Amino acid sequence: MNYSALFIQLLPEAVLVITALLLLGVAVAVEAKTQRPMPIDLTIVISAMGIATACAALCYCPASFESGTSLLAMDPLARLFKAVVLMLGLLAVLLPPARNEIKQPGEFHALLLFALTGLLLTVGTVNLLFLFVALELASLSLYLLAGFSRTAKASEAALKYFLFGGVSAAFFLFGLSLVYGFCHTLLLPDIAAKLLATGPLPAYAVVGLVMVVVGLGFKLAAAPFHYWAPDVYEGAPATSVGLIAAASKAVGVLVLVRLLLMGFKEAGGSAAWGAMQPGWSLWLGVLAAVSMVFGNVLALAQTSVRRLLAYSAVANTGYLLVALAANGTMAAGSALFYVVVYGLATFGALAVTAAVERDRGDDSLGSFAGLVHRSPLQALALLVFLTSLAGVPPLAGFVGKFVMFSAAMAETTNHGTPGLTWLVGLAAIMSAISLYYYLMVLKQAFVREAADPRPVAMSTSHRLAVLVPALLVVVLGLFPALLLSPLAAALEATLGFGK
Amino acid sequence: MTPAWTLISAFAGALLVLLLPARSAGLARVIALAASIIGAVAAAAACLTKLQRLDAPAWSFDKPWIPELGIRFHLAADGLSLTLLLLTGLVAIAGVLFSWNVETRPRAFFAFFMTIIGGVYGVFLSRDGFLLFVFYEIVILPKYMLIAIWGSTNREYGAMKLTLYSIGSSALILIGLIVAYAAAGGTSFDLNDLASFKYAPGLQYWAFPILFLGFAVLAGIWPFHTWAPTGHVAAPTAASMLLAGVVMKLGAYGALCVAMPLFPLGFVEWRLVIAGLAVIGVIYGALTALQQKDLKFVIGYSSVSHMGLILLGLATATHWGLRGAVLQMISHGIIAGLLFGIAGRVVYARTHTRDFGALREFDLWRTLPGAAVAFTVATAASMGLPGFSGFVAEVAVVIGVWQSYPWLLLPVAVGLIVTGAFSLRAMHRAFFPERPPGVAPAPPLPPLTWPEISAISLLSIFSLAIGIYPLPWVTLIDDGLRSPLFHSILSLP
Repeated sequence: MNYSALFIQLLPEAVLVITALLLLGVAVAVEAKTQRPMPIDLTIVISAMGIATACAALCYCPASFESGTSLLAMDPLARLFKAVVLMLGLLAVLLPPARNEIKQPGEFHALLLFALTGLLLTVGTVNLLFLFVALELASLSLYLLAGFSRTAKASEAALKYFLFGGVSAAFFLFGLSLVYGFCHTLLLPDIAAKLLATGPLPAYAVVGLVMVVVGLGFKLAAAPFHYWAPDVYEGAPATSVGLIAAASKAVGVLVLVRLLLMGFKEAGGSAAWGAMQPGWSLWLGVLAAVSMVFGNVLALAQTSVRRLLAYSAVANTGYLLVALAANGTMAAGSALFYVVVYGLATFGALAVTAAVERDRGDDSLGSFAGLVHRSPLQALALLVFLTSLAGVPPLAGFVGKFVMFSAAMAETTNHGTPGLTWLVGLAAIMSAISLYYYLMVLKQAFVREAADPRPVAMSTSHRLAVLVPALLVVVLGLFPALLLSPLAAALEATLGFGK
Repeated sequence: MTPAWTLISAFAGALLVLLLPARSAGLARVIALAASIIGAVAAAAACLTKLQRLDAPAWSFDKPWIPELGIRFHLAADGLSLTLLLLTGLVAIAGVLFSWNVETRPRAFFAFFMTIIGGVYGVFLSRDGFLLFVFYEIVILPKYMLIAIWGSTNREYGAMKLTLYSIGSSALILIGLIVAYAAAGGTSFDLNDLASFKYAPGLQYWAFPILFLGFAVLAGIWPFHTWAPTGHVAAPTAASMLLAGVVMKLGAYGALCVAMPLFPLGFVEWRLVIAGLAVIGVIYGALTALQQKDLKFVIGYSSVSHMGLILLGLATATHWGLRGAVLQMISHGIIAGLLFGIAGRVVYARTHTRDFGALREFDLWRTLPGAAVAFTVATAASMGLPGFSGFVAEVAVVIGVWQSYPWLLLPVAVGLIVTGAFSLRAMHRAFFPERPPGVAPAPPLPPLTWPEISAISLLSIFSLAIGIYPLPWVTLIDDGLRSPLFHSILSLP
């Protein structure tokens, strides 16, 4: 093993860990000297610089790389997606936690960087055991982040998140052990080769794979494993929710893509109408249908915008699973594109919600009344985020959904067979229904009058956390090829490499 | 000027209006008017150029957009598109003029207004399924905002209902388009490529109604028309004009240029059903209009009736029928704009009522003679009197019906008679009420302003021009109908 090469490969993660340790040290020093916690602005600047440095380090890493260990992979997909995750993490850092909730911002942001490190490691591995360890590093940090504000709601959220996450980790690990029992290898490319050689999975390995998918379903908040999501979205600090909703979800989808398309492509079966065959495609199809219906219907009844976004997250997981159920490279590539633009839009909506909430005291629909008069720019950004989530052109969410559904259909039909029409049709109709609840928020913001016309107070970094994703959602909507083409190419290259 | 200037002027206008500083918000309407005029002039110039050189290749613009899926930014304008572009330009100008007095949040109002115009131009120009769908959906949110913020009667309800119908029908279109794309091999969204693919008859049989219904809901097909009257009544004047005048035409255009060419065999199986629903729409809309007490509701239901005639023209699948359908789109676009403008702006802004009973007290033909004259002209055009555009369009559709379904002429005739009845009734009740002798004369009303007069004249002149000399319009439409898209439909037995 070449240790210097290994270090270069792990440079981005190393930078993040060093920054986190630095933050902890500075926090202790500042508190010892001034008897007060470190100022939030300083922690934001230090963490943002750390992430920027990690990004630079990522660019410094050579594109194709052989460090001599099977634990880490530096394929084109890992490289590109690490940059994406770092960007989503940077946005989360920019969204400041509420001053009255977070007493130790140094520790808070250090944990955030540890979570990000875990997510990066998860992205860059094809070894199942290492994948599990990296995912747990991220998860444990996220549990702490969810409960960091120590309010009753945050504690409830953290406990639920932890319990559900713990159970899902158990499922995941047990499933992996069964899969290992059949394949005798932990490396995804070797598993794919083994499957090609031996044909269909035996029953216990199928059970193992189901458990792995269930475990990831918890992470992605797919119904019926979504029960933690509304409480976490409502109770946890906005920054933590931003990380859970955007970066963590994106990594979850990437893990699913890697696992299923790289390792278990042969065990996919089919979810196509009239030609259904047992396999993970079919399970994902069912999960997708349940998530879309559950998420969208329950979102209709919400009055808290954070809970509404949680149910919208469940629904969006459904759309993503539709694309994954197609078991095709282009559909998976477009799912990766969609999860990024979805993350941007949801994060932005959360950031606006956080601003309104801190200004008005709660996140009910009524607090948004007359936002366009109070803060026109924030209202416009909210319009961009929510209409992108609803799939209205020319925004990125629309392009993402359209591309996902088209690719999923194109990869499953054959000479006029219906293919995934049942799922894509359901997704299109559910997506249309979703416009209703997003419009409920926009109606408050644009149509109703505000009782109190004061502008919403926001710090500069908070403004950035709203405006940057808004800009990205618009740009990626008009020029989707900017991100879609590299993602599709990287996925193609990575999967080709795996064969 | 290429036809692209229609699109550019509309979206640039919207952006410019949005960027205006708050203190010069009054400039918004000037910018909107300028942008609308540029768009209309560009469309008119393109129409004239096309008429002079009919055999010249159609203008087009084609660039890759999302290469992974074969999606291209492909715009092109044949004669059919050009006539509809010109219609959009005219209605846009009239809409801005009729909204000259919008004082609440004028920047947002005109930004949303110009976005709708841009989206409509875009649909008429798109030759790529994805691009067409993008423009088609762009108009949904501004529609909601225009109605919910600046509307009247029951505006939030009307806006939400209209939006849900629109987005629901879009979902159907999305499914239909994706099915067509995937079945054709998943390599191109170009409408010409999709239309030249021979889909299996079984697929066409179930995919056609999905795609067609998606478009037809926006065209107000019975029984999915209920969004139209409530939405039109709740909308502010300019939005009613746009909705009835051009946005409903998007549905008819999509049915004609997307649904029918993509799945011609499915169309053959379903065309009798479409014709039946269209005739029911014609009669039902007219009968309902006959019973309304609110002037705007009369016009709203008359739109349902007139749109039924368009769908009927499409269902005939004859050259005359299609030609009549497009002529009716143009004619109804102009006339609906005129009627909504007079009822919603000229009358309502002065009397604050549209109820026939209350309007009687105003004795409009004495106090507002200009409006009475204009409404009489519009009513005559709407009834299809010779000399107006409505006549030409109706005759063409009726010839098409005669060629395909002669037995349907009887119910169509009933519908046209009832159309005459409700038009006359509405005109009579609203403008020429009988007042018992001895009642004190109604208080005077402010006379028509110059924006109102210009908008009314513009639309009336075009309706008359089409009615008296339809040849150039028919020439342009026929040019569009020669496109390979319609070969499979027009060659039906």
